[in-house]
Amino acid sequence: MSIVRIDAPETQRLLAWGNYAYLLAMMAVIAAILTAAMVMQYAFGELPCPLCLLQRVAMFGVCFGIFMQFRGGFSYGNTGIAMLFALLLLVVAERQTLLDIYPRPGHAYIGSAVFGLHMPVWSIVIGFVLLIAFTMKLAILGGDRHLEAVPVRSFPRLAMAGTIVGLYVIALAVINLASVAVQCGVGECHTMGYALLGYTAPAS
Amino acid sequence: MMLLIFAVLVLAFALSWWRRDLPARLAIAACLLLSIGLFLWEIYSPEYGFAMPWLQG
Repeated sequence: MSIVRIDAPETQRLLAWGNYAYLLAMMAVIAAILTAAMVMQYAFGELPCPLCLLQRVAMFGVCFGIFMQFRGGFSYGNTGIAMLFALLLLVVAERQTLLDIYPRPGHAYIGSAVFGLHMPVWSIVIGFVLLIAFTMKLAILGGDRHLEAVPVRSFPRLAMAGTIVGLYVIALAVINLASVAVQCGVGECHTMGYALLGYTAPAS
Repeated sequence: MMLLIFAVLVLAFALSWWRRDLPARLAIAACLLLSIGLFLWEIYSPEYGFAMPWLQG
């Protein structure tokens, strides 16, 4: 029976590959969630509320922290950025869920339920899973020797996939910027219509 | 405000694409602070403050 040595070059390379593949999978899943949110907006007319948009910002922030690992090399600073935005996602989603959990005039869950859960509740699940995913990565792939010894460019296909998914996330961010400009203009965001397409909020 | 947050976010991504790490980190930090500021502004009510009285039975 052979013993796996953690400091052996092949083990270090395997751990580094696992780390970057794990990060790539996380970024791809978030990109898919953001895509689904935009499909709900453009295909089904479910405009995002201000807190919903902040949750999108938080998901983009997590992607930013991961994307930086592929562009600038591994750093715990980038992991910290991603975890900060995952925490922001959790806090914003929890507050929105608590705002809408007791239906009353002017307050109810916005949009349609998916598998029985509305968007802010899903965001809590997503934020929680993201934080768990980061802590699991740190716990299982935690040591950073392999990341210093084996940079992402050692895995050309993985590095290319990271760049492609990162570019897709950047494209989503640009589309969201344009969408927010049309929905909100330079003022407050409303879920009843697009400000630049003629919608004006009723006077309160 | 929301437009500014998304503009700074896109700026951060653009800077990271061109490997300007420090400016990119400063931009994403600004995005985070602006988001927190807007979040607090959105949930503040002149009537209740930050409290949620509808949750109390």
